[in-house]
Amino acid sequence: MKNRQRKINAAGILNAAPVIGLILLAAVFVIIALVKDINLSYSFKNIVNQSIITMVVATGAIYIYTLGAFDISLGASMCVSAIVGAMAFNRTGSLAVMLAVCLGCAVLISLISSLLASVFNLPVFVTTIAMLSLLNALVMVLIRANGTGDVVQVPAAAVRSINNVWFRLLVLALFMILCVTTFNYMKLGRQEKFVGGNPLCAKLTGMNAKKLSVIGFMMAGIGVGLGAFLTIVYAPTLSRNTAGSVGMDVIISIVFGGMPVSGGARSRITSAAVGALSMTMLSQIMLVLNLDSGISQMVKAAIFLLVVSVSMLNSRKQILPR
Amino acid sequence: MMKSLRKFLVLQLSLMMALCLGACSGGGSGQAEDPSAKTVKIGVLVSDTTSAEALAFRSYYEDYIKSVYNVEFMFSDELKDAAAEQSAIDNFIANNCQGIISMASADRPAQIEKCESEKIYYAVATGTLTDEQYETYKGYEYYVGAIGPDLSIEYQTGYDMAKYFLDQGYTKFGMFTGASVYFTEMHIYRAAGMLAAMCDAGNGTYNGVTGMDIVGKIMADGGEVTTGKIGSIELNGVVSGYDFDDAWFGKLAAVANDPEVEVLLAVGSGQVTFAGFKPEGKMLGDIDCYTADSVGLMEAGTLNYLAGKFSASIGPIFAATLSAAYGKPIRTSEGNAFALSQGYWVAKDAETAKKYYEVDSSVTDPAYSKEQLDTLIGASYDDFAKFVSAYSFDEIKK
Repeated sequence: MKNRQRKINAAGILNAAPVIGLILLAAVFVIIALVKDINLSYSFKNIVNQSIITMVVATGAIYIYTLGAFDISLGASMCVSAIVGAMAFNRTGSLAVMLAVCLGCAVLISLISSLLASVFNLPVFVTTIAMLSLLNALVMVLIRANGTGDVVQVPAAAVRSINNVWFRLLVLALFMILCVTTFNYMKLGRQEKFVGGNPLCAKLTGMNAKKLSVIGFMMAGIGVGLGAFLTIVYAPTLSRNTAGSVGMDVIISIVFGGMPVSGGARSRITSAAVGALSMTMLSQIMLVLNLDSGISQMVKAAIFLLVVSVSMLNSRKQILPR
Repeated sequence: MMKSLRKFLVLQLSLMMALCLGACSGGGSGQAEDPSAKTVKIGVLVSDTTSAEALAFRSYYEDYIKSVYNVEFMFSDELKDAAAEQSAIDNFIANNCQGIISMASADRPAQIEKCESEKIYYAVATGTLTDEQYETYKGYEYYVGAIGPDLSIEYQTGYDMAKYFLDQGYTKFGMFTGASVYFTEMHIYRAAGMLAAMCDAGNGTYNGVTGMDIVGKIMADGGEVTTGKIGSIELNGVVSGYDFDDAWFGKLAAVANDPEVEVLLAVGSGQVTFAGFKPEGKMLGDIDCYTADSVGLMEAGTLNYLAGKFSASIGPIFAATLSAAYGKPIRTSEGNAFALSQGYWVAKDAETAKKYYEVDSSVTDPAYSKEQLDTLIGASYDDFAKFVSAYSFDEIKK
């Protein structure tokens, strides 16, 4: 009985590890900030500000990762959506239209990815690699079609009124409410976890994995669309490099947040938010220490591997056969 | 135990959120009253962290300037888009930097606006603003100014390089136009200069246009340069982009080995692109920077002409930024920020390249030393402009 209790406690600590990690990182940052000449209030504002876009996109991506799938084209999708959204704004002058176009474009791209996987019966990862190439080419086509050199711009004055941390927090909060509700309190989240944990069992139970995949990609598309909109608001000059790091940031955030790389029952919708904050906090610590970017990348890679190892340690013996 | 742990975590998270939200409503960059009395922090925005040129610039600041001035540099990560630039500026502000020197150009107006609103000095190194941008921002209090090759210098540098080979009687050319297909103006102007020199030498036109009009033609063609006859001159091969895949390398090899090409001209990265494929006997000209590799290539006869930036060229903009941080900003007679042009050092033989490199790579006696830069702190605009405009090797070492 005691042994069982000990195991439960250990599992609980491992589950809480990402949050504990975040708190530790915050503590380390505060200590360094107090020792060095750092503007602490601006730093925290900055950390929140810089995390939000990754939080939004990564939270949507949790629906894909829960299924045990993997989308490498999220950054490219966000770039295309942002450029199309910006072009729509320049035609109409309406922020609402820009938001709608960003969302519509991102959801459409996501749906194409999932439908391609369903039609050709390919692993989602494979179709997203194809989509990555396609979308990168599309970005260049769109920029050329726009005819304004190597960038597509929305006038900064047009988005100035909503270019603040409170608006970004509002968007994040609304999206989180939607995601937490559908993932934790509705059938969708439970079914996704089941399919991700054991597709065969899920199929025998009568669940339609393809339908769930399409819904999951649609949710991810909403996250990407909102991310695209927030990107335009934050930096209204878009180029072929826009959101170039988002795809990798999303993966790292999700893993940092304690999400099992194999998806399934232990998937948590809040992982992305915790992971994104941790990652930004870590970047800030590296910056304050003025480490060379190469060393920073190595440190991040080492921590990434450590987190994955700990995550696997927790799940290796408990996973059901797939 | 689990309940206690949960309570602890909830408490910690609540405290953190409260701190974050409190911070969000806080503000102020916390600038010191007397900046000259303590170490001045300067942030450097960089869009390239790995090229020889970028490493040389960084080395000049970190290995030389930092050792002789009471300053601390913070370098950004490699910035690829406007959002990354905004985040990097936020990071510098959070670290109480008093000035920012920008070598990233995804969205310069946004950088200037941000620095102005946060009351942090901002300067452009290795580049300039467009005329329209300068008119908009020249009166901004915290905009220090810009020093770098302006687009007319880029055009002229390309022109001079092509003319050097044309004057020797070469008539068959191949080109690497770099980021012209990504609409990078610097590369488009260099390529246009080369084509304009061919038009002048061959008494012909490039697709119906000559001179500066070639810039517009390349822009209209999506940044592409096309092969063909330019009067009596032949442009027989063109490669563009930075794909770094097999097809791209294959194109480079094909142009470099084309028997109908005598001279290879690169708007940049010629040492990475054509040099590896170029057979003996063909000529290669490049616009880049001075490195041990480029000197070696010139000594080996692989590289025959190099127009290169020198790492200490970012010295005067540092001095201007520091001067501003000390409360002595350098302004024009109308009280505006400065916009000064600075060109390249050109080497046409290995000996000259070696001489340039020895000075350029020195961390004890670089092209612009502390003694020279000290004269710029608090200098008048005229003195500053005179200093910057005398950028040739001989003028600097006089």
